[in-house]
Amino acid sequence: MSTTVSSAAGTAKRRGNSNGSRGSLFSYASITPALLVIALFTIYPVFYAIRISLFQYILTKPKSHPFIGLKNFQEVVTSYYFKDAVINSVVYTIAAVTGVMLFGLMVALLLNSKIRTVTLLKVLILLPWAIPAVVAGLMWKWILNSDFGILNGILYSLGVVRSYIPFLADPVLARLSLVLAHVWKEGPLAAIFILAGLQLIPNEFYEAARIDGGGSLRVFRFITLPLLRPILLVVLVYETMSAILTFDIVYVLTGGGPGDSTSLLSWFAYAEIYKFLNLGGGIALSIIIALITLMLIFLYMRALRTEDTIS
Amino acid sequence: MNRILQVTTILFVIAMVVSGCATPAAPTQAPAPAATEPPAAPAATTAPQQPAAAEPVTMDFVVWSYGIDTIKDNIANFEKMYPNITINLKDYSWLDYHDTMVAAFAANNPPYLLYGSDHWLYEWASAEWLAPLDQYCPNTADYSKELAPYALTGMTYNGHVYGLSYYADTTDFMYNDALLQKAGITVPPASLDDIYNQAKELKAKGVNEYPIIFAWSQKEGAFPEAWTSLVFAQHEGGNAMFDANLNPVFNQEGSAAYQVMEWLRKVYSEGLMDPASLSTAEIDQIKSMQAGAHTFTIAPQYNMAELNKPGSGDFAGKFKIALMPGPSHSDVGYARFYAMTPKVVEGGPAYIDAACKFMDYFGGKTDGDYKVVKRWAVENGLGFAQLPLYQDQAVIDAFSKWGDVPTIKAQALKARAKEGMTPWYGSWDTFARAEIHKGILGEETTMKALQNMADKWNELKASGG
Repeated sequence: MSTTVSSAAGTAKRRGNSNGSRGSLFSYASITPALLVIALFTIYPVFYAIRISLFQYILTKPKSHPFIGLKNFQEVVTSYYFKDAVINSVVYTIAAVTGVMLFGLMVALLLNSKIRTVTLLKVLILLPWAIPAVVAGLMWKWILNSDFGILNGILYSLGVVRSYIPFLADPVLARLSLVLAHVWKEGPLAAIFILAGLQLIPNEFYEAARIDGGGSLRVFRFITLPLLRPILLVVLVYETMSAILTFDIVYVLTGGGPGDSTSLLSWFAYAEIYKFLNLGGGIALSIIIALITLMLIFLYMRALRTEDTIS
Repeated sequence: MNRILQVTTILFVIAMVVSGCATPAAPTQAPAPAATEPPAAPAATTAPQQPAAAEPVTMDFVVWSYGIDTIKDNIANFEKMYPNITINLKDYSWLDYHDTMVAAFAANNPPYLLYGSDHWLYEWASAEWLAPLDQYCPNTADYSKELAPYALTGMTYNGHVYGLSYYADTTDFMYNDALLQKAGITVPPASLDDIYNQAKELKAKGVNEYPIIFAWSQKEGAFPEAWTSLVFAQHEGGNAMFDANLNPVFNQEGSAAYQVMEWLRKVYSEGLMDPASLSTAEIDQIKSMQAGAHTFTIAPQYNMAELNKPGSGDFAGKFKIALMPGPSHSDVGYARFYAMTPKVVEGGPAYIDAACKFMDYFGGKTDGDYKVVKRWAVENGLGFAQLPLYQDQAVIDAFSKWGDVPTIKAQALKARAKEGMTPWYGSWDTFARAEIHKGILGEETTMKALQNMADKWNELKASGG
């Protein structure tokens, strides 16, 4: 009997194994087309770009591309702009991400309240996000124009300023203008994400807190914020990446100026290739930016995992 | 499986970031040898004489966005003359033109025909992105004799002429005579001190808050030409920026560049120059002048036609040109030209023949007349390098409507090509623009800014660009 049982169990196990390998084979087969597409359009270009970064690739010297190892990376890191560009990028990222998070949180709280126009507001609030960054940059360029800009016009007619402000020609104001344009563009998406998080919080928590006499601030501090933390982390990861990679708004709005005041790392990656015609150097800088971004993502993901474990 | 997914995710993130930052990764493919090999001379020199005209030829022609309707009309007229040739027009913003073309060249996807400019010529020709015109279109050689020297210099690289002039112009000092008279000033400025003193007076009398404006945004193509014009005007003879061996001479106290930078700092810090100048592009500059917001500016001469266009504002007809303020009154003359790429040569004799006909029609003479160049001058006020046109009555009549022809001609005769035209000029120019800004803003001393510019030049020169 025992022999029969063990034999049956063995057969079942073999059948199970066979089914398992077949299932596993099916899984691999299913994802293969997608993997091939990714490999062709993203992985291959990445490796190709890494290869280029190891060669001297000056566009005005089309017949000479010697292998130079990591020299492109060394030249980029020791270049005249790298230190200032890193500082500019860090300051910009902190300001932009903080701005987006605060904007997103405030708008989400507003949309989560029981105001009548909430549906319309949800649509309207997403509009800036749906506008391409270059178009957004051009809009802000006109809004902030020092001679004809509507913002200057409004401030002047209200008597707030005595003369038009050169928003994009002053180093500090140009930086602030970039952050403003970024927050306007990216804030809506953050708001929608956070709103989704807010709507997942059970109403009973709020009711219980109110019964216990909790005020709005305490409810926000001890219920809303802790329960929103995972979604806030996701938004933080995305917005940090987005801020570090900002290029289009800089290109359209300030062109990196005045001076180098709004020249971010991503701007110099572009300038290396298109202005200095150094393809190898530009790609080396892009890879450095990618590594920085990746490092930050790992840190955030670790934080997120810790959050999950705690909850 | 999880590990595979993790690795894929990581690779995907890297890919997104790298490809996001380095969109130009597309052009990583080296220009194909066929495209960059010097074309065989014999085929070239004989090609235009081949009776290949009957073969249908289609070529794209890339321009920056200006006068598109006129260009289309010119193309239509050309196609009527040569029914077998079809020209497809594409245009890009002037501010993005250089970078767009670099991307196209580097991706080995150049057009057949395009606009070129003197400040990109060394860069593009050394990269073999352009084909030497004199080598393939001997029919255009005679035109060089009738060109202003600065324009011919601006289209020549390594002894070869790379284009025929679309237009050539000078960078001129312009002023609003009505505003000047309002301040009781009857004589326009002739030196930097004059501009400073008159600007102070204009401001003190409430005529303008900022009497001076420049179009010196980082992306403005005419920025280096305006700045260099100011430098040339403070210097007698050549070598205002570089000596004969291309060593910088501007980074010395008392040099013309030093004087200009010190003056710029002064007019900026005393509120005589519109601070918005550092983010202003040419179109805004001209609109601002038309609105009477400023009295003095430096801009390409062709803008006079727009400034004085009847009905363009209260000050139409009141704008005048004065010789560039400074002891020598010299300024920058520049050339924008029609050029062709090696793709034409690769196309074979029929394409070479068609391209040469195109060049001849657009930049040369038809029935003994510089038809297209003259049209640009008469209808749009664009300057020209073809000296015989200064004697053309239609041109004189047109220019007289918005400008003072003798002054325009006098300034053109004092014009010089920019110095330091090398394959690395473009890279240096990008760097120099930021340094000039820093000097004006006071973020750096004048000497520090000029020294940085010289150091960068020497670095680029040492590496050959």
